[in-house]
Amino acid sequence: MTESSPLAVAVADLTRTFVRSRSRLPGRLKRRPPESRTALDAITLTVPSGEVHGLLGPNGAGKTTLCKILSTVLIPTSGIAKVFGHDVVVSTTRVRPLVGVVLGGERGLYTRLTARQNLMYWSALYRQPTSEGAERTAKLLERLGLEERADERVETFSRGMKQRLHLARGLVGNPRLLILDEPTVGLDPAAARDFRGLVRQLRAEGRTILLTTHDMTEAEELCDRVTLIDSGKLLGTEDPRTIGEWLSAWERVTAEGVPAELIDRIRKVEGVAGVEIDSEGRITVETAGDGTSAAVLSLLVDGGVTSLSTSRPSLEEVYLHLIGSRGLNVG
Amino acid sequence: MIRLALAMARFQIAAMRRSPHDLMALVNAPLFTVIFLAIVRYTGRDDLTGYAVLAPAMITVFAMALLASGEIIANDRTDGRLELLVASPSPVAVVVLSRIAMITLVSLVSVAECWLVARVLFGKAVAVPHPWLFVGTLAAIGLAMAGTASAMAGLFVLTRSARTFQNSLSYPFYILGGVLVPPALLPEWLRPLTQVVFLSWGTDLLRDSLSEAPVQRVLPRIAAVIVLGGTGFLLGAWLIHRVLLKVRNDGTVSHA
Ligand SMILES: Nc1ncnc2c1ncn2[C@@H]1O[C@H](COP(=O)(O)OP(=O)(O)O)[C@@H](O)[C@H]1O
Ligand SMILES: [Mg+2]
Repeated sequence: MTESSPLAVAVADLTRTFVRSRSRLPGRLKRRPPESRTALDAITLTVPSGEVHGLLGPNGAGKTTLCKILSTVLIPTSGIAKVFGHDVVVSTTRVRPLVGVVLGGERGLYTRLTARQNLMYWSALYRQPTSEGAERTAKLLERLGLEERADERVETFSRGMKQRLHLARGLVGNPRLLILDEPTVGLDPAAARDFRGLVRQLRAEGRTILLTTHDMTEAEELCDRVTLIDSGKLLGTEDPRTIGEWLSAWERVTAEGVPAELIDRIRKVEGVAGVEIDSEGRITVETAGDGTSAAVLSLLVDGGVTSLSTSRPSLEEVYLHLIGSRGLNVG
Repeated sequence: MIRLALAMARFQIAAMRRSPHDLMALVNAPLFTVIFLAIVRYTGRDDLTGYAVLAPAMITVFAMALLASGEIIANDRTDGRLELLVASPSPVAVVVLSRIAMITLVSLVSVAECWLVARVLFGKAVAVPHPWLFVGTLAAIGLAMAGTASAMAGLFVLTRSARTFQNSLSYPFYILGGVLVPPALLPEWLRPLTQVVFLSWGTDLLRDSLSEAPVQRVLPRIAAVIVLGGTGFLLGAWLIHRVLLKVRNDGTVSHA
């Protein structure tokens, strides 16, 4: 591929397995055979330059594994991964200057040093002259709302502030591709909103963003396209609007103090996928169709039930629906 | 690359200021000097005062480099920074070498400390008849120490159990490096071994620079210090390269 490859990310048949050598059983001389786990199972994916691409999947789906492979931290077991046309295994020196990576969590900072010192360190590692690095550091601290605490030790920061510092760190090398692994976990709602604004600005600057999340609302709001992943396999790439439709189609209604007769009537409403009753008599109605939850709600209200609420389905539920109802192409 | 090295050295200063633990050896240096000087005085061998000043200084230089070599990569790994460092466009070996070089430069302060202890507490000003040789040798020792420490850094991540022996590693090095006892006074069978330890060449040169007599074969001996230290760095760079390949393969870049 050439330098001007329009694809920011091109992944073909990418597989990564982890081998865990297990400890010896007590009283036995032989080790147990090593246990191998497939974190990514022959996935194929492309992200065009300039796109905000979401990788949506529950815990353990393989999202972090893909982020680490694309940022050259992890070597794939087989298959090919390219960033702007450069192979992430063979051409690490070409890939690394183009990529900024934020791996989530609070680790990865020099906690005894200040935010500014941390960013200056990373700007040097991304080969910027000191004066340019200082300028960029100051701008990023301001952009991420950290300028007031810029010269305080990172160990005094809240989790959200550390997360923002990590975002600044990811940007310090002026990357064309920014890989964000669950960037909003641990952010308070206001910070999460600011984060969304930031992603939009970065997109407007022409950067490509690969963002992993298990939050469907976030994927729907931020991404140009969303790839669904579960147990190392891609379930498909969707328009974010489709995700919005799933969210409303599979809404759940919870209510308390519902008479048995009313529960029976709810079961018969078209589009109700199931009704569960817990030990305290609370019911949870799963719906599978547009407008179903509205119908259920009005039945409940008409029946005099006052304690009720709706909630969005969890990712796991949506996946169950998808794999069950539409026979999505798994694997 | 030079810019990166300077930036890393500057960063190391900032890091050390926040971590006094790394500078403890500089506190110990004067105490060691007192012990050595007391022995020299008790035995009436005032002619060995120079030796008694150099030995604790070299022990400090080595101790600080050894501590740093064991910790820089290991700490980055446990704190989740190593994977970010790997993802950056800078070679890890250069980062490690530059940071240890700065630590070594700071550790050379111990030379002045130990000299002052002799001057102030024992009333003995150690003269340096060959000041340029003295300074040049110290510079060569500093570079070679950083190179050697890079090799140790690679070794310590490759075989984590090696860190158990980290401290015991010092004593053979002090002996073979002629820290207190000149290599020529060691048992004959040990002498060839001292030839491959950069510090044995360095300490001999330092001691020579403290005596009035003209010094023989200066350049080849300084070259020996630098070549041995450079070999250490190349070995370290190779080890670090191997280690990083291994952990990127195993998926253990960020494992403690
Ligand atoms: N370094 C590792 N060593 C062993 N197993 C791992 C490692 N990293 C991830 N895994 C396993 O691979 C699977 C995918 O993990 P991960 O990519 O972290 O998922 P996600 O980020 O989507 O939660 C999980 O089963 C996880 O336990
Ligand atoms: Mg993850």
